[in-house]
Amino acid sequence: MSKTTSRPQSAAQGDEVLVDVTDLKKFYGGEGFFAGPPVKAVNGVDFTIKRGETLGLVGESGCGKSTLGRTLLQLETPTEGSITFDGTDVTTLSGSDLKEWRRNAQMVFQDPESSLNDRMTVGEIIREPLDAHDWKTKQERRERVLDLLSAVGLRDEHYFRYPHQFSGGQRQRVGIARALALEPEFLVLDEPVSALDVSVQAKIISLLEDLQEEFNLTYLFIAHDLSVVRHICDRVAVMYLGKIMELGETEELFQDPSNPYTKSLISAIPRPDPTDTTRRITLPGTPPSPRDAPEGCPFATRCPAKIRPEEYTHLDEDVWDGIERFREVIRERSRMDLGVTGLARRGVGRFSRFDDLEEAVSDLFEGVDVPEEVRVHIEQAVEYAKKGYPSKAREYLYEEFSSVCDREKPKFYETSGTARYSYCHRHANEYEDVDPVISRRTSDE
Amino acid sequence: MSETTSKSIREDLTQRDELSLYTRIANNPRPFFKWAVPMLVLIAVEFPTYAGVAFGMLDAVVIGVTGLLDAAIGLVSSGLSQTIRDAQYAVVGVLRDAGGFVDGLPTLFSREVIPNQGYQTGPNGPWEGTFLGLEPAYAWALRATLIFAYALFTAYWVFRGWLVYRDHYREADWTPTDDIVDNLSNHQWGKFGIFVLILFLTMAVFGSALGPTTVEQNIQSPYSERINYFNEDTGEVDQVFPGDANFNSKSKGSAEFNVGPMSYDDYGRFHPFGTLTNGRDLFTFMMGGARITMIVSALAIGGAALIAAVFSMFSAYYSGRVDLTILTTADGVVSIPRLLLLILVSAVFANHWIGNVLNGGFLLAIIFAFTTWPFLWRAVRGPALQVAQEEWILAAKSYGQQPRTIMRKHMFPYIVGYLLVYASMSTGGIIIGLAALSFLGNGLGISPPTPAWGRAISMGQDYVSGPSWHISLLPGLMIVLLVTGLNALGDGIRDAIDPEAGGSAEGEEAAAGGGG
Ligand code: SF4
Repeated sequence: MSKTTSRPQSAAQGDEVLVDVTDLKKFYGGEGFFAGPPVKAVNGVDFTIKRGETLGLVGESGCGKSTLGRTLLQLETPTEGSITFDGTDVTTLSGSDLKEWRRNAQMVFQDPESSLNDRMTVGEIIREPLDAHDWKTKQERRERVLDLLSAVGLRDEHYFRYPHQFSGGQRQRVGIARALALEPEFLVLDEPVSALDVSVQAKIISLLEDLQEEFNLTYLFIAHDLSVVRHICDRVAVMYLGKIMELGETEELFQDPSNPYTKSLISAIPRPDPTDTTRRITLPGTPPSPRDAPEGCPFATRCPAKIRPEEYTHLDEDVWDGIERFREVIRERSRMDLGVTGLARRGVGRFSRFDDLEEAVSDLFEGVDVPEEVRVHIEQAVEYAKKGYPSKAREYLYEEFSSVCDREKPKFYETSGTARYSYCHRHANEYEDVDPVISRRTSDE
Repeated sequence: MSETTSKSIREDLTQRDELSLYTRIANNPRPFFKWAVPMLVLIAVEFPTYAGVAFGMLDAVVIGVTGLLDAAIGLVSSGLSQTIRDAQYAVVGVLRDAGGFVDGLPTLFSREVIPNQGYQTGPNGPWEGTFLGLEPAYAWALRATLIFAYALFTAYWVFRGWLVYRDHYREADWTPTDDIVDNLSNHQWGKFGIFVLILFLTMAVFGSALGPTTVEQNIQSPYSERINYFNEDTGEVDQVFPGDANFNSKSKGSAEFNVGPMSYDDYGRFHPFGTLTNGRDLFTFMMGGARITMIVSALAIGGAALIAAVFSMFSAYYSGRVDLTILTTADGVVSIPRLLLLILVSAVFANHWIGNVLNGGFLLAIIFAFTTWPFLWRAVRGPALQVAQEEWILAAKSYGQQPRTIMRKHMFPYIVGYLLVYASMSTGGIIIGLAALSFLGNGLGISPPTPAWGRAISMGQDYVSGPSWHISLLPGLMIVLLVTGLNALGDGIRDAIDPEAGGSAEGEEAAAGGGG
């Protein structure tokens, strides 16, 4: 429990590492004088993928998992960090070296409607990668396309058909065949089944498993849905707001998640077993904008196990909940654009847009006995915001109520002997463990 | 499908060297020949006309391109530009010889085969020199009708060729284009547009055979050869220069000075659209104008569309700074008043020979292309941006496809429809612009005496309310018809490519069967 590391290593040292990602960052925008803060889509990510394994990458939409997949394939240029593929740092490749490397790593896309150009026949679509790389002779290319068609469960006569004439599942098979054309070692599967009917999903998953076996492929399987991942992945990484929160062997991670975020995700999976007593953890609010991610732990704004500051440990759950929600409201206001009129009104002291805040506060703390020591700070913050300075209010609250979760980035803690890593302060010795905290806090509801 | 089809597909695809159209035709030649033999006959009967048009266009292209090169390189080295001019003279000389040769060849629907120019031998006597002794009006009407019928049928037969290919020789049994063609062929308004376009293209190609007389004889050198006519005063057949005849056939807005539509002048010459203020035949004038108008507007819109297509794909593919640069350039171009630019350029090139290519039309085409592309670019940038977001573009990048190929294969097919829609609609503006320039005159527009529609309108503007109303009205109506037709065509294509508007293309349910 106490072993910490800046980055998780692969536990089974015997396995050969195919992809090694170190401190990868991908930011959008933020350059130039007038630009706002950058969108931190991927904000410092470390992991490895072993040859022949399937690593699942799970997270809500917008958490940066697709960006991560695309950055791995050099479809986006990373802002920082390195990606080593089979010993080569691919972030430094360019020109013909990059093109040559692309043969090794391909992608299957989420939306079969959008991933196939429907002005081309299926044969042309699958052949295009071969054409682009001048692969052997024309006849051999066509032969290869036919072989690929049968490998993904389609037939020869589909060669001259257009994508329009296919169902979603068949289109996805075409997409898979195209990704396999250049005999890659590594495939990024970007939510390959989430756009398909449930009945078709299972077929595509088992096709992917068969192909992995047959061609000795390594997968990065991106999904927003934990249950899909459970069947196909050897290990799973859980991502939230540009960070990997937890990483570990699939079954173990499902049985006994360490990280508060993983716990809440897994508790949300509907269980067939009615005797199961695990409580469903509902997360308040929505993930913050990746433009305005918390300074410390990315999950700090919604975490059910968040560490409280020393001075406030004695407060009631309800009061503390109210404080956190109120901070959320103020954060939201501080992101708003006040506009020219807003600024002008603020200048002459007639700002009124946030006059509803008092009402919001009384809603949040309805039926809760707010101690004086808290009340003064809340009122002060409301005062700042109402005058038109929500950022000042936000800072004030941060000064007063922030804990280690808000302020400091956690470390990766190895939480079990099987190379499981969790990104949370609670795994440090000085704090109470996650489980008791969550069960105490949720049972009060 | 059966085992055998599957096998033969595999054989087809892997055993043969090349999956050529030729092998497929060789396997099943009947449908091809049933189409190709009539097509050959259709071409053969009018071959000299087509060859003449082709040589004429080549000629203009050679002069135009070398002219531009000359103007550009002349700034740097006069020696090089001299070489270019020499090369140009040589090529143009060959082309003109070839053109002269095919001009001399007979065609089926020519004025030699069905002549309409003749003279009466007595006050009510028979006609001499016309086809089967018919009255000139009937002879002319017969020839014109035959030419239009021939042109429409040929156009249909070309389309038929595509149908034969689709049904017998194409590997795919269905392509997205089929839907577009089907939609268009159910679109009455769009078909009207195609019909109008064919009509005017026919005028451009067969113009010299369509007129009751020729531009050469009636307009350009009316004093080189005399024609026969029956002189009512003397009761004899006399001879007169067409120029002198024109002088006495003027339409000047009064009862005695007017030759209206569908009437004869005193020299037994038939005027389907009447005469101009200078006594020339308006219909012949319009036919001559059709060719120059169609060529100049086609060049202009073609150039504009090409620039717009390339720039819109660059905008969408690279976005960011590239897009911004193009945007700024486009805004810059739009902010230049077109008329001012035309006057400026016309003045600068007034004495340069490039100003005479296509009778000044080449320069006009360049200016119109230059001023039109920003509008087309703006119109197709949206669709281009949309395509650039599609995942197949990302997929193509992921296997290292070249940007050039990505634009050509994965973006262009999706914007070409919109390009056609907006191009056909903008062509109307160019045609009106051309007519407006000729209307203004003063060194603008196509240089006289080459016919230009706008000049006819301008000549007749004093006589709009009077017996000579035809001089302005008929050319005006023709322009309106053409512009309306082009808009109809644009509407048709838009409805055909947009399944939402078409309605019927929706619901192409998976028909491929198997798997998935
Ligand atoms: S570090 Fe704090 S906020 Fe983040 S998951 Fe752990 S307890 Fe929750």
